[in-house]
Parts: sequence; structure tokens; C-alpha cells
Amino acid sequence: MNTTDAIVTVEQVTRRFPLDHNAVTALDNLTLAIDHGEFLAISGPSGSGKSTLLNLIGCIDKPTSGRILIEGTDTSRLSPSETSVLRREKIGFVFQTFNLIPVFTAAENVEYPLLVQGLSNSERRRRVAEALNNVGLSSRASHRPDLLSGGERQRVAIARAIVHRPAIVLADEPTANLDTRNATQLIDLMRDLNQSLGLTFIFSTHDQRLLEHTPRIVRLTDGRIVSDTISETSHVEVLAASVS
Amino acid sequence: MTLLMVGGGVAGLLLVGGFFAFMFRGLRESTIRNGLGHLQIFNAEHFRRDEVHVLDTGISDWQRVASNVRSADHVRGIAPRIEFYGMLSNGVKSSVFMGSAVDPDAERAMSFSPRLAAGRDLTESSSVEIEALVGTGVARSMSVKVGDGLTILSVTADGALNGIDVQIVGIVNTGFKDLDDRYLRITLPSAQRLLQSDRVTNLVVGLDKTENTDAVAAAFTPRLNGLSQEMTMKKWIDLAAYYKQVRTLFSGIFLFLGIIVFFMVLMASVNTLLMAMMERTREIGTMLAMGTPRPWIVALFMLEATITGVLGAAVGLIGGNLIGIALNASGLHLPPPPGLSTEMAFRVLHVPALMIGSSILVVVSLALASILPAVRASRLQIAEALAHV
Repeated sequence: MNTTDAIVTVEQVTRRFPLDHNAVTALDNLTLAIDHGEFLAISGPSGSGKSTLLNLIGCIDKPTSGRILIEGTDTSRLSPSETSVLRREKIGFVFQTFNLIPVFTAAENVEYPLLVQGLSNSERRRRVAEALNNVGLSSRASHRPDLLSGGERQRVAIARAIVHRPAIVLADEPTANLDTRNATQLIDLMRDLNQSLGLTFIFSTHDQRLLEHTPRIVRLTDGRIVSDTISETSHVEVLAASVS
Repeated sequence: MTLLMVGGGVAGLLLVGGFFAFMFRGLRESTIRNGLGHLQIFNAEHFRRDEVHVLDTGISDWQRVASNVRSADHVRGIAPRIEFYGMLSNGVKSSVFMGSAVDPDAERAMSFSPRLAAGRDLTESSSVEIEALVGTGVARSMSVKVGDGLTILSVTADGALNGIDVQIVGIVNTGFKDLDDRYLRITLPSAQRLLQSDRVTNLVVGLDKTENTDAVAAAFTPRLNGLSQEMTMKKWIDLAAYYKQVRTLFSGIFLFLGIIVFFMVLMASVNTLLMAMMERTREIGTMLAMGTPRPWIVALFMLEATITGVLGAAVGLIGGNLIGIALNASGLHLPPPPGLSTEMAFRVLHVPALMIGSSILVVVSLALASILPAVRASRLQIAEALAHV
């Protein structure tokens, strides 16, 4: 992979967590580059470092050594407030447990990232409507999360992750809490958004249903990459969709 | 829960403060109506030296002084008084008295009528017998009743001993036991005959409203200049030592209660807000992950706490005022407090300043209580917060 075109570059990153008198190595000297518009899965058994890698790419954790570049910016050199700005503008998050704010409606949850960005009221409304339309939930805009199904909640979470037009969407086990039907719908949705909007999707999963639709799969074991497979046809599809 | 606690604190402060305000107002007005008046005019010498003889430092040309100030706004009336003392005797027993000589019509015009336990008030034009009112304590200790006679002995303005016979026309209950045990009241002409002087001790001024005291005092100052005697003026608050003592004592108690409520709200709110922060750890982590600036999290928690404070204050204001209305309608009475001989009505005044003050107190308490949880929330490690179960 050519790192000069990469949206995400992970260079010799190690992440250790102190535990009593020892330290657990979650990621061990890991190097990885991810291009614009990729639809990439990070797979591996539990404890292999999937979530740690996503956290580091998402700038919500810092590596013990090595560095991570987002669109060429070395995130280790950013101040906490600059890191916040980077997350706010370039990254969208989708969580396994949805993490919607329970007192907000679906539309308000989707609107939140735009509020943080300080966009005008009319622009926020327009983008929220567009994002909810993208995930097929326009009719559920005024519902609170507790009135939505698991699949709908995750779709709201995806709308929230894409509404501010980030460069990267990070999803940690997005289908883990969904049944097969909802999981399949979500996979299709993510793939559609990846292809239609050219968004880079990076997600952790060991859901085989999701992996079957994924052009590039990075497999981790004990914090190391054991395989990095690319399905050429799928990648060409993505690029073609992006160009179109 | 926090809402109820804050509301309870505000309601408690309103009820206690409202009752204290009623008590202060009642004590103030009874102090004034019991004869203190709103303003008193004296010969300036009265406060510079002790009297050698009674009325030594009295006002000689008191009619002119009275006419000078009578026309001022808010003045309801002016009553000349003589304060004197001596011995009372019924031929069998004797007792010391503290006497007050008054113009009954002038006193009545200002609603300064004594509170009668029996009989009637003094009248100006009694030609046959000299009328007197005595306190309930005097009547009891000397075993006299309305219609009985007494002899008053006192020292005249020249220092000679003089005495007059009086007939008791009424028994007075001032509400103050110590005063009831020494109380004697006769008409001004009777006292002037007893004391052999046409002077008066002071002029008592009654106003339409107590709140106008300062304004009227200011208006009086130029009117009291250029007289044959130098005059001085005292406001009721300067002469109401007992009122001031009671007010100071109860204000201290109220301040103490306010401090307790403040710390109760503060401590309980810190605990509640810390628990809320723990419950919302993942939510905060999500907000931080989406790039929410950390100061926003601090502001969010403080804003939520402040809104809770405002809502709690509203609950307290509504609840406190409704309870106050119910208590006022119940006609509740309290036993006589120490030093008083009558039951005291239980009323709660609705004091706007108290409502504003207690509301501000709890809102500030909650805002302060939110600082620690807010700062903790803003410092959460995002990855740990997102993994929080």
C-alpha cells in the first residue's frame, strides 16, 4: 500500500496498558495504511487489539510508541483541543451499543455533531434531514431512541457519524447487537454510503456476514497483523463508485 | 429527588422566614402602637444629662413645637406625654409605678389606645375624679379593680412630694409582664397638677405608615430649628431596644438555618450529581469522542444543575407559598413567648425579598455543587468512558 495516498497511516504503533506490576501489550509494533474510500474490516479474536487500533485511529487514545497520521497530520503532535477539532471534523463514530443520547430524539442525536461544529440552524436542519434520508429514517426523526428498534438505533448512529461529512467513519462491532436481518440491512447501508459518498469505513468485527461484504480485511492476533487481504473486484467497485 | 430536596429547602426557608417576618412586623407595630409612636421629639438636653427633678429636661413650649410639625405629610397626629414615676397606695399596700400621662384623644386619634383587659380608656374631660389605668400586674398585686381608688405619690418639678387620688377606670394588658407590673396611665392635666409643671417629657408622632418614618424625620429637621429650646428627634427603631434584640436574635437563627440549607443542598447535590456523572459516563465519552470541547461538558453539567436549581426553587416557591396560605387559614396560635402574656398568632408573610433570596441561595448551591462532578466529567478518558459499563 502506498502511504502517500493514505487517509490513515499507522507507523510502528505499540500500545501497552499498565496492569498491576506488568503491562499488557494490546498492539505490538503495528504498521498499516488505509486509502481514501476504503471499506476495511479489522477482524480477529477477542483481545486481539481491534478496538484499541480503532481508538488510536479515532484519536481517543494515544499510542505508547509509534505514530498515526490522519490525512498526513501526525496526531501525536496535536494538543488535546486540536485532537478534539480533528475528531469533530474528520471522524465519525459508530459504537457497538449505539451510544445515542437517550433524552434526544433521533434528529437531535444526528444534529449534535453539527451543533458542536457551530453550524447555523438552517444548515443543521438541512443536513440532518439529508443524513436521516440517507439511512432511511426520515419518518422516525422525532422518535426518542427508546422507541426505536436496535437496527433503527444503529442507523441513527450511522446518520450521526456521517452528518458532518467526515473523511473516516470508525465503527466498533457495528452489527454485534443486531439480528441477522438488521445486520444485513446495516451492512448494505454502510456499503452504499461508502460507495455513494466515497466515505472511508473502518470497522472492527468478527461477524462473518459483514466480512463477506468487505473488500479488505486486516486480521489481528495478539496485537499483530497476521493477514491483510484485499478483494480486487470490491476495491475497484469502490473506486468506480467514488469517481462516478 | 434533587428537585424535591431543593424545593423543600426553599419552602422551609420561606415558611421560617415568612413567620419571622410576621413576628418582626407584629412586634414592630405593637411596639409602635403600644405608645412608642413612629417618631419622638425631645428637648436635646434630655439625652445630654440626667434630670435633677422630673421634667427638668422637658419641653416647655410644646404646643408650638407640635404646631410646627403637625402639617408635615404622613403625620396622623401628635401626642404630648409625660413620663414619671412614684408610689401607688391603696391604704393597705404600696407599689412602685412607672407612669405615663397622655392626651387620650390625641392617643386615640393615632390608634395608640392601650389594650384593655377590663374597664374603659381615659377620657379628657373628667371633672369629678381623676381617672387612671393600671396594669394587670398592678391590679393583681394591690388587689384593686375597676372603680377602686388609689393614691399616687410623686415628686414635683420643684422636688417637693405631692399626691393625688385617682379612680381606676380600666385595667391594661400591654403584653409585657414586667411592664404590666408597673403600669400607670393618667391624663396630661392630672400629671401636670401632680408634678406642678406645664412641661411635657416628649411629643410622640404617629404616621400613616411605618415605612414613611425616614421621609417624615427628614421633613421634620428644618421645622425643629429656631425654637426656644434645642430639639432632637428619635425614630422608633432608636428607642425599640427590645425589638432590636429580638430581631438580631431571630435574624441570627435564620442565617444559621440558611447556612444549614445551603450546605445540605450543596452536599446532597454533589453526591447526586456525581452519581449522575457515573451513570452518564458512556454518554459523556460519546460526546467527547464526537469532538465536544471539554469546557462544554463543564458548562453542560453546570447548566443542568442550575436549571435543576431554578426548577427546584419554583417548586419550593409554589409549595412554600401554598403551605403558608394553608397555615394562615388554619388560625393556628402559639403559646405566649417568654416575657409576653398573650398567645401569638402563627402567620407566614409572603416576602418577595425572601423568595428571591432563598431561590438565589439554592441555585447558587446547585451551581457550586456541580463544579466537582462537571470537572470530573470533563476529564474522563474517552476510551475508558466508552468502555464503561
